[in-house]
Amino acid sequence: MDFTLTETQQSIVDSAAKLLTKHAGPKRARQVLATSGYDPELASALREAGFLSLMKETGALEAAMVTEAISARAGLVHFGAAAMVAPALGMEIDEPVALSRQRGPVRYGASAKTLLILDGADVRVRRVDSGEARPMRSNFGFPFAELPADGGERLSGAGAKMRAWWRVVLAVEIAGALRGCLTFTTDYVKERRQFGRAIGSFQAIQHRLADCVVLTEASRWLAYEAAFQGAPDDGAEVAISYAAAAARRVFHEVHQMNGAIGFTREHDLHVWSMRLQALALEMGGA
Amino acid sequence: MEFGWSENERSYRNQLREFLAAELPGNWNEMSKDGPGSDAQAAFSQAFCGKLAARGWLTPHWPKEYGGHDAPAWQHAILSEEMWAHGEPRGPQYMNVNWLGPTLMRYGSDEQKRFHLARISRGDVLWCQGFSEPNAGSDLASLSTRAERVGDSYAVNGQKVWTSYCKNAEFCFLLVRTDKIETRHKGITVLLVPMNTPGIEVREIDTVLGDRYFHEVFFTDVRVPVSARLGAENDGWGIAMYALQYERIGLPRYARSARTLELIVADAKSNGRVIDGAFKEKLVAARAMCEAARILYYRVIDQRAHNQPPTADSNVARLALTAADRAVGDLALELGGPAALLYGSLGDGNFRAAMPAGVATGTSEINANLVAQRWLGLPREA
Ligand SMILES: Cc1cc2nc3c(=O)[nH]c(=O)nc-3n(C[C@H](O)[C@H](O)[C@H](O)COP(=O)(O)OP(=O)(O)OC[C@H]3O[C@@H](n4cnc5c(N)ncnc54)[C@H](O)[C@@H]3O)c2cc1C
Repeated sequence: MDFTLTETQQSIVDSAAKLLTKHAGPKRARQVLATSGYDPELASALREAGFLSLMKETGALEAAMVTEAISARAGLVHFGAAAMVAPALGMEIDEPVALSRQRGPVRYGASAKTLLILDGADVRVRRVDSGEARPMRSNFGFPFAELPADGGERLSGAGAKMRAWWRVVLAVEIAGALRGCLTFTTDYVKERRQFGRAIGSFQAIQHRLADCVVLTEASRWLAYEAAFQGAPDDGAEVAISYAAAAARRVFHEVHQMNGAIGFTREHDLHVWSMRLQALALEMGGA
Repeated sequence: MEFGWSENERSYRNQLREFLAAELPGNWNEMSKDGPGSDAQAAFSQAFCGKLAARGWLTPHWPKEYGGHDAPAWQHAILSEEMWAHGEPRGPQYMNVNWLGPTLMRYGSDEQKRFHLARISRGDVLWCQGFSEPNAGSDLASLSTRAERVGDSYAVNGQKVWTSYCKNAEFCFLLVRTDKIETRHKGITVLLVPMNTPGIEVREIDTVLGDRYFHEVFFTDVRVPVSARLGAENDGWGIAMYALQYERIGLPRYARSARTLELIVADAKSNGRVIDGAFKEKLVAARAMCEAARILYYRVIDQRAHNQPPTADSNVARLALTAADRAVGDLALELGGPAALLYGSLGDGNFRAAMPAGVATGTSEINANLVAQRWLGLPREA
């Protein structure tokens, strides 16, 4: 047990941060959300930097760290699906990858080339042909589409593995978005003044932001631990259930602290907050 | 103490339900899911208010001289409850009935009362509320939109923000600064401003709550006659606080939330979903929160029915209303599953409607501060 980053991990985190400063961030997210909701430039920057093969070459924990960082910078790519879930199933597949439970809206469905379908105890791998996706409007921070879920190559018995890794990816993505909400809101309450003082100086705000720190930190460490351990069923379940509950709670706290401006699209909060609800629901009840 | 309804009250509620059953269109659930004020229901609401007014049900609790029927406070509560339980078909009109009417009655000149109250009770006018500014949210007393006296009118300059419903509003209940900013609440005045006055510009704000939720309103040398002032110059703070007491607790939002719970259960069932275990527990808990809000709301109506001045019980009720809304909004998403993320779904509509409940009409923190100070008698935070 050691919570300090190794040299390799530090350099991965640093180079991801550098890449994300250039290719991601809330301004970029708002732009992308106003169009397709998927950011092909960020996806290719990540591919060119070699991050997609992190899981095989370095480890799942390192892939999780990059996934978290992308989410914390509000990146709009399905990195976790391509860089964690697919390789966990031993697959070399065409990016972008989307994950489906057969029914309901698929996150990044309209930009996916490959669909991994969780089908009970099995997984089916299906190519997505152009024109098959039907984009669906949503206010929850990601692009969604309806996709056919028939056919594809069947991976017998791979369902449990896919479910567990999917859960870990979601938990990591939630952890990143929580950090985004927390950092943004902390800055905001320092700057916003009412009654002649920063609203962040009120204890009503301070104590609840402190609770948000607990929820954010625990979500992140639990998700990292589960990734490190190779997504054991129990660890994956704990990670997503804690993170999903944290997402729902922090969502309301940060919106409350941002006041009315927090609901507007010109204020950056929504690029992190709205996706929290989507991520918390993605494996809901599964 | 007793918790029963009188024969009159029961029959009034039944009449309302029959009326609603006859008047609401078949696709009403769909039409009303984005909440009162949405474009989808604007035209319907206007016609509906006319029909209510014709039966004397728009402002039943108002005195006869202002177009009411001197009905008791409970009758108004039953009316509001039935309206919200049916998705508030009155649209933004509820604001007029809730807080504008009582405030105009108390502070208006004879001429203002004659003109405005008659129109409100006929149901043919919409208002908006110009309180908040970019730098004056919770700290409303720091507002800085200026009104300078020029002859027998005021010249208004400044900006309001978060103004709801103002696209269709004919008048604005506007708070302006008529003295130095340092005077804070002692230098504020209320003006009743026609929205078509030259120099007023309205811009819609893009939000994640839905379309046309709120607006910015810019005032550039807007001339408002002194006769449109409500109450005396620099006396506006007390008037605004009086209005807020009515506004905060004006809406039995729990009735809408309780209806939402029924709708989401029906929806989940029709999608073949079995509601048991954890979901059932959450449903019961959310329903209990709606009921808690209801009984605390009744407590406040009872004070009104006994002509007692408003107390911090209304802040207590407001906090409960907000908590119930939130619990139901969360559950609407959770029960709906990923499909609830789609724009216009039942879960989405209700979640987004509940999102701002803890901010609109004053935040939960401000309400909690008032409960701490006035209900518990605790000292203010240093
Ligand atoms: C849906 C909606 C509709 C609205 N409609 C209207 C309208 O029609 N007309 C109108 O005039 N306004 C309207 N408003 C504005 C509303 O009244 C304000 O948003 C509200 O008063 C809060 O102000 P703010 O948004 O500037 O938040 P801020 O005042 O900046 O508050 C930010 C955070 O700081 C907290 N805070 C502030 N002071 C304290 C304190 N002393 N102690 C502890 N915490 C504190 C707040 O509670 C909040 O959590 C609307 C708002 C919404 C969301």
